[in-house]
Amino acid sequence: MGKLIAAASGLIFGLGLIAGGMTQPTKVKAFLDVFGAWDPSLALVMGGAIAVGSVALAIAKRRRIAWSGETMQIPTNTVIDGRLIAGGVLFGIGWGIAGFCPGPALVAAGSALGTAWIFVVAMLIGMGLHDRVVKPG
Amino acid sequence: MAGVLVGVGVRMANGCTSGHGVCGLSRFSLRSLVNVLAFMGAGMVTVAVLRHGV
Repeated sequence: MGKLIAAASGLIFGLGLIAGGMTQPTKVKAFLDVFGAWDPSLALVMGGAIAVGSVALAIAKRRRIAWSGETMQIPTNTVIDGRLIAGGVLFGIGWGIAGFCPGPALVAAGSALGTAWIFVVAMLIGMGLHDRVVKPG
Repeated sequence: MAGVLVGVGVRMANGCTSGHGVCGLSRFSLRSLVNVLAFMGAGMVTVAVLRHGV
């Protein structure tokens, strides 16, 4: 049952990313192109997700066990440091070049969209590289 | 190349658009807001440079 819930959650999340347009790099880059033909529609996707997510997380915070049967784990880290900002900047540069962020890239790779596979492989290399060179968080 | 940057970045900052952006902001986490502003800003600057050669 727990695995079924996990699979259903992933399915809903992935469908949402596709429906919202997050899996289309041209759409993502148009959102980031504030000095050109800016397409702000993805802000609505994110705003909508946060509106729903804040309710869901408020409920989740009161539970000890998740629907999947696992212990509920809500992040407790509140440290704002250099690596948080540096990581954000590096990620943002890659996001701006490729138009993919990790979740939607996996969905696009699963849909066999041309370059997404290359991106995912490179992303995994980057994650491994980070853990080897910088210490894992 | 872009993928490598994204991989290093999300690992370093412990999260991405979904993790910090959606889940973090849904928890009203200040840490996540800082990260979101960093990657949105860097993403916008990158697109501006690539497209408009600022």
